[in-house]
Amino acid sequence: MRSAHVGASSSGDEASGQLLPLELVDVAIGSRVWVILKSAREFRGILRGFDEFVNLVLEDVTEYQFTESGTDTRQLPSMLLNGSNVCVLVPEGGASERTAA
Amino acid sequence: MQSAGSAAEGASTNGALTGGSILGEPSDLVRLCLDELVYVKLRGERELVGRLHGYDQHLNMVVGDAEETVMSTEVDEETFEQIVRTRKRKLPLVFVRGDTLILISPLFRQSGASR
Amino acid sequence: MDSMPGQHETQRPADFLRQILGRPAVVKVNNGAEYRGNLVCLDGYLNIVMEGTEEFVGGELKRRYGDVFLRGNNVIYVGPAPAK
Repeated sequence: MRSAHVGASSSGDEASGQLLPLELVDVAIGSRVWVILKSAREFRGILRGFDEFVNLVLEDVTEYQFTESGTDTRQLPSMLLNGSNVCVLVPEGGASERTAA
Repeated sequence: MQSAGSAAEGASTNGALTGGSILGEPSDLVRLCLDELVYVKLRGERELVGRLHGYDQHLNMVVGDAEETVMSTEVDEETFEQIVRTRKRKLPLVFVRGDTLILISPLFRQSGASR
Repeated sequence: MDSMPGQHETQRPADFLRQILGRPAVVKVNNGAEYRGNLVCLDGYLNIVMEGTEEFVGGELKRRYGDVFLRGNNVIYVGPAPAK
C-alpha cells in the first residue's frame, strides 16, 4: 500500500527534491481522492488510474453539485472523469479502501 | 480547438474505440448526417434544427434552413415561479462554432423524440 | 506512471473506456444534462456516440435520441450505468 505522504523515496526528481505534480497523483492511486472541478462540482472516490491529461478513473464515487438551493449528491460505481474540467485534486490518503472487485 | 485527450490512446491510429458498430469513430455519425436533418444542442440553452451542409475536424458546422430555439428561465418576482421562455427564429444559413456544440443527433434515425 | 508491482487494480483511462464500450453508460455534460444509452464508440477527445439515448435534466427525462454524438469538450464524465 502506498501512502499519500510522498518523500524522497518516490521515483522522479530526487536530486532536486522536487515533487512532480503527476507523482502526487500517482501515489494517490488506490486511495481516496477529492476532485474539485472548475465548475461548482466535486467528486470523491478511489483513484484507479490516470493519464497525462489527468483524465481520472474513479471508483465508488460520490458526486456533489452545488446549487443555490443546496447540494445534490449521487453515487456512481465508477467513472472516467474528463481531465479538462479538473481544477484541484486532494489526496485524502490514509485508508486505502478497496471495493469488492 | 478541442483540448487534446488521449483517454483512448493506443486503440487505433485516431485513438477511437468502437464496440461492434459500423462506426469506426464518433465523427462517422456526423458524416452520416451530411445533407440530412439534424437536431443540434448548443451551449447557452440553444437548439438548432436544420440541414447539415458541412462540418470540419473541430465540428464547426454549416447548417441550412435552421430553426433556432433559445430558452431562458426567469423567476417571477412575486410568486417565485420559474418561467421558461422560448424564442424561435428561422436562420437560412448559419456557421456553428464547434466548441459550443454539446450534441448532434440525426432526425431521420431518431426514434420516439419527445418534443 | 505505469502501475507498480502489487497495484494490479490500477486501471488507466484507455483500459476503462475499452471495458465499458458497447454497454449501457451514463454521460454527464457541462450544462448538467445527463445521457443514458448504449455506448457505441468514442475517441481520445472523449467524443462519444450513444444509441437509444435518454436525456435527463435535473433527474427528469427530457428527450430521447436514436443516435447521438456528444462532443468531448463538454463531457464531464462517462461511466457504466448504475444498476437501477
